[in-house]
Amino acid sequence: MMEAARAALFFAYRDLLRFWKFKHWLASQIVMNLADVVIFALVFSNIVNRQYIPDYVKFMATGVLAASIFASSFSIGREVGAEIRREVSHYLLALPAPRYALIAGRVLGGTLRGLVYQLAFIALNVVLVGVPNLSQALAIAYTSLLLSAAMSALAIAISTSTRDFNLQATFRALTYYTLFFFSSVFYPKEVLALRFPQPVAEAVVHTPVSLAAEVYRWGFGYSSSVSPTALFEITAWAVALLAVASLLYARNVSGK
Amino acid sequence: MSLRRDLEALLLLVRWDLTRMWRRKVFVVMRVVWFAVQVTVFGLALAAMVRFRGAVAQGIDYYHFYLLGVYTSMLFSISVSNAYEVAEEFEEGIIEYHLSLPIKRSVLTVGRSIGGGLAAFFFTLPMYAMVLALMGGGPPLAMAASLGAALVFSVGVVGLVLSVVLSVKSGDATDILFGLIDAIIIRLSTVFYPSVVLARYAPYYYAALANPISHFVDFARTLFFFEEYRALAVADPLLMLSYLLGFAAGLVSAAVYVVERKLEGGGWR
Repeated sequence: MMEAARAALFFAYRDLLRFWKFKHWLASQIVMNLADVVIFALVFSNIVNRQYIPDYVKFMATGVLAASIFASSFSIGREVGAEIRREVSHYLLALPAPRYALIAGRVLGGTLRGLVYQLAFIALNVVLVGVPNLSQALAIAYTSLLLSAAMSALAIAISTSTRDFNLQATFRALTYYTLFFFSSVFYPKEVLALRFPQPVAEAVVHTPVSLAAEVYRWGFGYSSSVSPTALFEITAWAVALLAVASLLYARNVSGK
Repeated sequence: MSLRRDLEALLLLVRWDLTRMWRRKVFVVMRVVWFAVQVTVFGLALAAMVRFRGAVAQGIDYYHFYLLGVYTSMLFSISVSNAYEVAEEFEEGIIEYHLSLPIKRSVLTVGRSIGGGLAAFFFTLPMYAMVLALMGGGPPLAMAASLGAALVFSVGVVGLVLSVVLSVKSGDATDILFGLIDAIIIRLSTVFYPSVVLARYAPYYYAALANPISHFVDFARTLFFFEEYRALAVADPLLMLSYLLGFAAGLVSAAVYVVERKLEGGGWR
């Protein structure tokens, strides 16, 4: 058991070290997430109905925190996908470590990457939106940890489902659009209720990305309250996504 | 005789790209689904929260504005996705195989640019039809002109893709660079907001003025809703069309230059 835990930690450590290897990729991701705030949100705030969103820049800054977790956690999926394409996965499977240690290590590596990457956007939110108190900071940290783990596992499962580079990129984008368009990252639930049937608008509020965005908005002081079940729901989502995605990765990496 | 052989080679290359696209039916269906989600969820929600302020933009239906914008961003993204395919061809040695064919390098590049552009154009036709249906149709002349401009635009973008991918010669650099180009260029254009709104931020405004995406999308909007959008477009319609033609010709020429002068020597990284 200790051996397996040590192997998992080693895989995670290796993935974290490799994170810095892709400095340009990191820079491009940061620019993309920043562009959502400093270009899209800033310009769009001039045409948003202030009755629904008084300050679109602050609204998006907190939403981008969830998007940043997605982008960085998905970096592990990108690499694991390349490993399958280049058959490095055969080497990893041949290492003297149980398969579950490999899976746990890769997910942990992706989680750590997500958390490290998010730090810059946490700082941006402190500057733009507000400073959280202790309980708010703990809720933000817990949300980020679970969201990052869930997104990493999902990214690994998706990126290893095909060897086709283009299809991998398409799956990645499709997952992004599904998770983020059906969320309250870009628009509040009041706007969704205007356009969609009540059950759809209500369901969107309970997706993992919406829940995380709501916790972040409360945590940085953009909104004054958050659903009391939000953290519980995020936990349930993370457990379910981790379980399903780990099983899929185990199947994809062994080619069965 | 030589011209005839060149044209035959050009047609073969165009067919190569079109056949490749045809084999990717799953990929096309996925992108169409993603587009449908974008126009029905994201588009409707954005339109619900937009309220134009100021006299210039009064009376504009943001959903129509968004529909042509999102079609443009999709056409751009699909054309850019050629970068991933070219990168894969490089990894698999298909580029070297193409270079060894008895075809002039210039014909090879023009053929791949037109083929890639046509493939992206056909790929996005279902999205165009969806946009048209959601807008309630449009004048036949506007449809013909916008489709022609879409083809010119996608050929230009594929020219850009070939120039960049064949210069950087790296799968990772391609992934990073085009992810970045896709994100920044679309946001710094008039895809989501009119130029009058962008004018509040001088650097963004001038970037949007130089951006070929703004020229294509505003040209298409002016074709369908002339009265509403002529005051909002980045330029006069003829000027926008000239810009698009120059963009396509310039970038295909740049790709020819890269393939003829820079491609050989140094492996794929």
